[in-house]
Amino acid sequence: MYRLISRKLRFLQLLNRSSSEENGRKILLPTNLSDSLAENITMIKKILGQNFDFVIREFELGSSEQNRGALIFLSGMTDKNMINESILKPLMHERRFNIKNENSEFANMEMVKMSMLSVGEVDEVIAIDEVVDGCLSGSTVLLIDGAAKALVLSTPGWQTRSVEEPTTESVVRGPREGFTESLLTNTTLLRRKLKNPGLILETMSIGRQTRTKVCTAYIKEIANPCLIEEIRYRLSKISTDSILESGYIEQYIEDNPFSIFTQVGNSEKPDAVAAKLLEGRAAILVDGTPVVLTVPMLFLEGFQSAEDYYSRPYLVNLIRFLRFLAFFLSILGPATYVALTTFHQELIPTTLLLTMVSAQSGVPFPAVGEALIMGITFEILREAGIRLPRPVGQAISIVGALVIGQSAVSAGLVGAPMVIVVGITAVSSFVVPVHVDSGSILRLIFTILAGFIGGFGIMIGVVGTLIHLASLRSFGTPYLSPLAPLSVADLKDSLIKVSIWAMLTRPRTIGWHNTQRQDLRIESEKSPEEIEEHQK
Amino acid sequence: MQKELKIIKLTASLLLLLMTTGCWNSRELKDLAIVLGVGLDKPRQSAKNILVTAQIFRPASIQSPGAQGSGGSGGVQDYENIQNTGSTLFDTLRGFTHKLSSKPYFPHIEVLIFGRALAEEGLQKYIDFFVRDPETRLGVKVLIAQNKAGDIFKETPFLGTIPAEDIEKIIKAQEATSKTCTVNLEQFITRLMSKTTSPIAPLVELTGEGEKKRVRVAGTAVFKKDKLAGQLDGTETRGLLWVIDEIKSGIITVKCPDEKSTAELEIIRAQSKITPEIDGDNIRFRVSIKEEGNIGTESGSDNLVLLPAIEALEKAEAAVIQSEVMAAVTKAQKLDTDIFGFGEIIHQRSPALWKDLENKWDDIFPNIEVEVSVQAKLRRSGRIGPPVSPPKE
Repeated sequence: MYRLISRKLRFLQLLNRSSSEENGRKILLPTNLSDSLAENITMIKKILGQNFDFVIREFELGSSEQNRGALIFLSGMTDKNMINESILKPLMHERRFNIKNENSEFANMEMVKMSMLSVGEVDEVIAIDEVVDGCLSGSTVLLIDGAAKALVLSTPGWQTRSVEEPTTESVVRGPREGFTESLLTNTTLLRRKLKNPGLILETMSIGRQTRTKVCTAYIKEIANPCLIEEIRYRLSKISTDSILESGYIEQYIEDNPFSIFTQVGNSEKPDAVAAKLLEGRAAILVDGTPVVLTVPMLFLEGFQSAEDYYSRPYLVNLIRFLRFLAFFLSILGPATYVALTTFHQELIPTTLLLTMVSAQSGVPFPAVGEALIMGITFEILREAGIRLPRPVGQAISIVGALVIGQSAVSAGLVGAPMVIVVGITAVSSFVVPVHVDSGSILRLIFTILAGFIGGFGIMIGVVGTLIHLASLRSFGTPYLSPLAPLSVADLKDSLIKVSIWAMLTRPRTIGWHNTQRQDLRIESEKSPEEIEEHQK
Repeated sequence: MQKELKIIKLTASLLLLLMTTGCWNSRELKDLAIVLGVGLDKPRQSAKNILVTAQIFRPASIQSPGAQGSGGSGGVQDYENIQNTGSTLFDTLRGFTHKLSSKPYFPHIEVLIFGRALAEEGLQKYIDFFVRDPETRLGVKVLIAQNKAGDIFKETPFLGTIPAEDIEKIIKAQEATSKTCTVNLEQFITRLMSKTTSPIAPLVELTGEGEKKRVRVAGTAVFKKDKLAGQLDGTETRGLLWVIDEIKSGIITVKCPDEKSTAELEIIRAQSKITPEIDGDNIRFRVSIKEEGNIGTESGSDNLVLLPAIEALEKAEAAVIQSEVMAAVTKAQKLDTDIFGFGEIIHQRSPALWKDLENKWDDIFPNIEVEVSVQAKLRRSGRIGPPVSPPKE
């Protein structure tokens, strides 16, 4: 037993030591490019040659035979038209220069870059791995015989999904654009919402094998510099093989990985992310996924939706109240039912109690058992519903809901009130999509606690959850603000949402050093005389 | 490593702690024998022990929600009156476990009925259980049966299927006439604990033939200390209610000014104020009642919505109210039971004086003068003013 543990510990130590050496980018070869084109090509072929989409296009520059060049790219990743028109054409048809000058190396690369290539983004590199990196990012690499440099020309041309409405966040009113998998498209969508020179987008590559581009976005005057510093620090500390989705990043940078509550928000809509940036938060965009992370995240954000801000406040407030109600119902519903019917039958009105007794008298399971069975059944149905292929999905969901529910009651496995309670609970858990995961777990915990010690159990669970929530922080911001610690000015967008003209300040805990959003006083621009004249 | 170990230890001990409670106090719904009504009787006239009847809910059937509906309406009995005899109350109640599958479950008890014989003997020794036990509720309605309490539970309910609920609804419905009092356990014991005020409770009996038996409220039972002393009929009860300010609604019949027809006036609200006047040995109580009502119906063809007519009606109404109150006072004084709480009023006003009076209250009470002044007002006349009738010649 001891040997097993010591072996495991030693293994962990080794792992730690090896990974701490590399951080982010792994260095393939320490060599740089050489003068000779043939040598360069050989070196690169060694790395990428086995791939079928690897293309090396050798050509002559200008008229002289000795001016040879090569284009290296991965077809499929690059835009063929651009390569043909903007790179090959000018290079091959231009007859201007003669290479073997005294200062030939620098001269021709410079000249090529400055006056021959009609490509927008050009990078000069010396190391082999930068060349390979460029190829893998969809760029074309230009090598010229005699120059120990390469030009990386950005020519991306892969297929991406078009900008469409995100399926998970549909709105009735508001823009329907959603982020796509391409980082550039996403940053563009964001830029279009915030035509602000203060919008800063910083990138870094994370993930040893995947080298995913991760971009941090924030607005310079509004965001807290400490927050940005912290984000940079945490992202730089990520040491892993792959980053396939923003969820990976989320799990690496969150404050408390053991908490069931999400501390990093996400969104697929540019307008929602733009609004969050304007409040002083920062967004993290990850190449390859449309889900953009926003930090810091507060508990109450789950109850706000982008639509709230596009509509007038009256119905919005009712619906917000409904969201809170639904959330509490979904967490405490089954637990309360179990606690009442098992421990506190005196609290139920007599007529209702008599009905419940009739319904439950034939059921062989205790109330807790019933609640757990129904809960598990519902989770199974939900999970299956997500994975079902569409044509089959419709039929089975109806089968699942109606037949299973009805048959279970008729067969005497569960009581009818329990089916109703679990049904309402389950449906209302989706009203607040952000907290679905944590809600499900909480529901389970509360049900079990209620089954053990009834109302006490629920109270213990609630107090424990509250304590945990109050102590949770997301990137330094307390999770329950503005409720705890109380910030009265920020309550204007928490349980209720005041009209938009009353939202004068940004949330204090996030954008504290630049809180004024709009003019605090409504002033007329015209002088009194002008107004009078106007009124005549 | 230290921190993780601490967390593991803490979690383990919490989990164990949770398990040690072992579902303490957990009762499944199907294990409950829900008691809806309790009746206490003497099994025979000279018996020393008591007969307890409990109406226990029994779910009609297992499942099939479509067929049976809620609780099985349509002739299927979903209650059972179980009886048990024993020498003391708690023992007898526990003894139900000989006949039931579990202990009786009291929090949903609706009515508590005492048999007449038991009430005449004294209720003191039976009340304590219902107050002391944490399961029973103080909001239970207390009733006295004209004969045997157990019989009352055999009535056929009008709405629903459970007699106890039906009886409770009947008692509540008496508000419409205000000819009966409504007493719950808390009010009963408050009166019981007072030195001079007498407890009251509605008197119920079973009427009807054969299968369909209905419960009827036959009056108010008046106790002296804890023994049944007498009863009040409908009018006297209403007189009592006028004084203690518990009139909710009711109909007063008065003669119209033309002496031929009657008008029936509906009581909308009433308020009473009792003022004691003590000078020496002479104790007088002034009861001033304010009442507001509507013209409910008239049997004649006079237009009563004219000022003189209204004033006449109001005077007549006041006279009726006064006579009802005086009837109640007379009866109470005859029975020598202070059902109005006059003693307590003196106790509140002049405690020093009360110290002398309270021991002699039984002698003083029959000689108290009660002056009633009534102010009756008619507010509305319903949908029409003058009555519907052929025009006068």
